[in-house]
Amino acid sequence: MPRQPFALTLRMWGFAAARLLAALTVGFVVGLAADRVFLGLFVTLLLYVGWQLLNLFRLDHWLRHRSLMDPPMLGGIWDDVVTQVVRIHRRKRYHKQRLATVLRELRDSTAALPDGVVVLNAHGEIAWFNRMAAPMLGLRGRRDIGIRIDNLIRQPEFVRYLAAAEFSVPMLLQTGATQETWLSLHVLPYGEGQRMLLVRDVTRAIRLETMRKDFVANASHELRSPLTVITGYLETLATDPGLDPALAPPLAEMRRQADRMAAIIGDLLVLSRLEAKDSQVDGESVDVVAMLALLRKEVLARPQHPAQVTLTIDTQDRLMGDEVEIHSAFANLVDNAAKYTPVEGSVAMRWSRDDDGVHFSVADTGPGIPADAIPRLTERFYRVDAGRSRATGGSGLGLAIVKHVLQRHGATLEIASTEGRGSTFTCHFPPRRVVAANGHS
Amino acid sequence: METTDLSHHISSRFNEDLEAVRANLLKMGGLVEDQLRKSLVSLGDADSALAGEVVRDDEKVNRMEVAIDEECLRILATRAPTAGDLRLIVAIIKALTDLERIGDEARKIAHIALRLAALERPADRYREIKHLGRLVEGMVHGALDAFARMDVEAALRVPQHDRHVDEEYESIQRQCVTFMMEDPRQIRRMLDITWAGRALERVGDHAKNIAEYVVYMVHGQDIRHTRLEEVETRIRARAESRES
Repeated sequence: MPRQPFALTLRMWGFAAARLLAALTVGFVVGLAADRVFLGLFVTLLLYVGWQLLNLFRLDHWLRHRSLMDPPMLGGIWDDVVTQVVRIHRRKRYHKQRLATVLRELRDSTAALPDGVVVLNAHGEIAWFNRMAAPMLGLRGRRDIGIRIDNLIRQPEFVRYLAAAEFSVPMLLQTGATQETWLSLHVLPYGEGQRMLLVRDVTRAIRLETMRKDFVANASHELRSPLTVITGYLETLATDPGLDPALAPPLAEMRRQADRMAAIIGDLLVLSRLEAKDSQVDGESVDVVAMLALLRKEVLARPQHPAQVTLTIDTQDRLMGDEVEIHSAFANLVDNAAKYTPVEGSVAMRWSRDDDGVHFSVADTGPGIPADAIPRLTERFYRVDAGRSRATGGSGLGLAIVKHVLQRHGATLEIASTEGRGSTFTCHFPPRRVVAANGHS
Repeated sequence: METTDLSHHISSRFNEDLEAVRANLLKMGGLVEDQLRKSLVSLGDADSALAGEVVRDDEKVNRMEVAIDEECLRILATRAPTAGDLRLIVAIIKALTDLERIGDEARKIAHIALRLAALERPADRYREIKHLGRLVEGMVHGALDAFARMDVEAALRVPQHDRHVDEEYESIQRQCVTFMMEDPRQIRRMLDITWAGRALERVGDHAKNIAEYVVYMVHGQDIRHTRLEEVETRIRARAESRES
C-alpha cells in the first residue's frame, strides 16, 4: 500500500471536521425548529460519539483477531488509521522473517562445525549448543538449555577456569568414564556478558605429544650407557704409556666429542624432566644472591674468562622456586655470556627489584645476535652461526632449558642485542615469586 | 512433567539465593567426584603423592559443606520458603550430608592407597576395584546430573546400578577370602582391599540417596525404602494424571 501524501491526509481530516460541523449545524437547525436548541446539539453529539465508539470497537476487534479477519471498512479517517496499522505490521513481519532466516543460516553453519560450540548467557547458563558439543560434554538435547554450564561440567578445574574469567588460553580437561578423552575448552567472551565455549577433542594430539616426550626421554637414557663405556675406554687409551704418539691428537678430539655428546644427553634429560612436570612449581625460598656470587667465582676460575666479571646486587630479596632449576637456568645464561665474550670484554650480572617483581640480567660485550635470530634462540638446537657455536662446545639446549625453567616459575625471558656491541638477557620474575628480605641486608 | 521453576519469584534476590546455593552444591559435587576419581587412581597407580593430596583436600569438602549448610539455614530462616522451594532446600541439605560422606569414603580409599603404595602391586593392579570404582563413579555422576537437570527419569536409573555394585562387591569379598586362604601373608593387603570395596559400596548407596532426593524435590514423593518398580508405577501414574 503506497504511503498517502500529506495533503491527502490533511484533506481527510478537514473532511472529518467538516462532517462534524455539518452534523452540528443540522442538530442546531432541528433544535431551533423544535425550540430545544441544546437538546438538539446534545443528541447530535451523542450520535456522533456513539458512531466513533462503534468504529473504535470494530478497530479493536480487528486488531485482536487480525490473523483471521480482513481489515474493516470504516470510512473516513478510520480507514487511514487501519492502513497505517496494516503497513507497520507488514513491515515488522518482513523484518522478522529476514532475521529468522539469517539466524537459521548462522546456526546451521555453526552446527556443521567439527568443533563443539556452546553459547552461554551472562549467568553462565546454556543458551544454545551445536550437534558436536552434545556428545563431547554429555549435554542432552533441549533439556539442558537454561542450565548453568558449571552445574553439568563440574570438574573443579573447569569451574575455576570459568570463575577466574581469564580466558586468554584454552584449558585441558580429561573426561570419559576412564578419563581417556582430552578436551580443549576455550571460552570467548563477546557482546554483553555473553560467552562462547569452544570444545575440541585433542586426545590424539595429547597422545602424540606424550609419545614424543617419552621417546626423547627414553632415547637419551638409552644412549647414555653405551657412551659411558666409550668414554671409559677412551680415557684408558689416552693414559696408556705405550700409545703411538701420532694417535694422541685424534684420541683427545674423540674424548672432547664424547664429552660434548654426554653434555647434550644430560641436557635432553633435564629438558624432558622439566616437560614431564609441566605445571607451576611452588618450591622454597632460594638465596639468589649467594648463588650468583658462586656463579661469578666459577666463571673467574676458568682458564679463559672475560677480564671483567661484575655482579651488582640491588636487593637482598630471595626468590620462591626450585633451587636446582633456578641454578641451571642462571648458570646457563652466565655460561653463555662468558663463552661468547672475548677475553678483553666484560660480563655484568645484576639482581634487582622493582614494582614488577625481581629481575636477573646478564649483559655481555660479545658479538651480539642478529635481530631475526632472537625469536628463535630458545628453540632446541637452534644455531645462530653453525661454525661459531660448535667451536664453543655447547649442547644447543641451554636456552631451551632456561625458557622451560622460567615458564615453570611464571617468569619471562627478555633478550636485547646489538650486533657487534653485545647482548643482554633478562629474566623477569613476577612479584608473587618474591620473598622479601626481612631487614638483614 | 512438573519442573521446579526457579524463575517465578517476585523477589529476584530469592531466586538468586536459591540458584546460588544449588550451584554451590553441584560445585561441591564436582569436587567430591574429583576426590573419588583421584583416590581410585592413586590406589591403582600406587601414587602416594596423589593419595596424600586427596587426604588433604577432604578439608575443602568439609569447609564447603559447612558453608552450604549455613546458607540453607539462612534461606530457611529469612525467606520461609514453601512448596517446591522448601523441597529444594530440604533436598539440598540432605544431599549435602551424602556428598560429605562420599568425600569421607574417598579419603578412606586414599588412606588405603597410601598403605598399599608401600607394598608390591599384584599382577592385576586391582582390576576388580577399578571396575567397581567406575560403576560407582558413574552412579555419583548420574545422580548429580539428575540433580542439575531436575531429571526424574535419569534419577530413577541410578538405583538400578546399585544391584551391580552389590554383586561386584560380593565377588571382591569372595575373591579376597580365597586369596587369604591361599596365602595368609596376604591377609593384611586383602583386608585393605575389602575395605576399599566396602567404601565404594557405601558411595554407591549415597549416590542412590541423592537420586532419591531428586524425585522428592520434583514430585514431592518420598521413595525411600520403596521397591523400584513400585516407585516407577507411582510416578508414571502421577505424571499421566497430570498430563490428562
